[in-house]
Amino acid sequence: MLMCRDLAHIASDYIDGELRPMDKVSVKMHLLMCGHCRTFIGNLRASVDLMQMHSSQKVDEELVKKIDERVAESLRLKD
Amino acid sequence: METATHQTDEERLIQGLKSGKEADFQKAVRLYTPGMMAVARFYLDNGSAEETVQDCWVTVIDAIHKFEGRSGLKTWLHRVVANRAKNHLRKHKREVSTDFSESLDPELASRFAPNGRWATPPSLKFNDSAQALMESRALSDCLDQHLSHLPEAQRSALMLSEAHQHKSEDVCNILDVSASNLRVLLHRARQKIFLMVESFQETGEC
Repeated sequence: MLMCRDLAHIASDYIDGELRPMDKVSVKMHLLMCGHCRTFIGNLRASVDLMQMHSSQKVDEELVKKIDERVAESLRLKD
Repeated sequence: METATHQTDEERLIQGLKSGKEADFQKAVRLYTPGMMAVARFYLDNGSAEETVQDCWVTVIDAIHKFEGRSGLKTWLHRVVANRAKNHLRKHKREVSTDFSESLDPELASRFAPNGRWATPPSLKFNDSAQALMESRALSDCLDQHLSHLPEAQRSALMLSEAHQHKSEDVCNILDVSASNLRVLLHRARQKIFLMVESFQETGEC
């Protein structure tokens, strides 16, 4: 029988629809009976949504300026 | 980071790059550098990654003429960086070592009893939608902070798959990992984010 710990191992595969049909059935059965795991899956899914919206990897201004300078110089050399 | 949402925006940008317009390079550099750094950091330390990304942009001036648009500009740029980073590794005879053996985060693993049931179950539901959660500036800053502490391999996998929404096939290609190893990296990273949000909701602190 699938235990909570087993489910935690394969939770991402379940969320992404990557499980084999038999395993998917086991997870669904477990979720019917286990409120903690339902919360876990719901929260993990919310974490995924959060990451998909969080594209705020900040632009490193210093690095970007260095790149601008090098690109500008190379463009001038080409002319 | 914003992305060029409309195909036409991207096409216009590519045209500008091909014509060597400095303003378009500046625009592209701001759009794509964070993702390119995520790729480079998978392979290299921060200093070498920055150098590699700078060098890439210089090579893009000529290489863009060979870009045929079979993939999106972002995917193409990420591949250019990955190849350059791999060459850098080969020159310095280093290998990336990553542990793919355990799919469960140790902190999460410690919350299960020996019988496999939850000993410390998830304490509460993330009560807001992701949209509402993201509106919390403090949470967003906390997320940035935690992302910067993730192991490089996990962070790159998460950024490329989720923030940049690459297809998993492309991520495997760019990061040179198998599909199953990518799944382990992603799962490990997601658990860290889950633990972070949970702790943030409980304590209100990062």
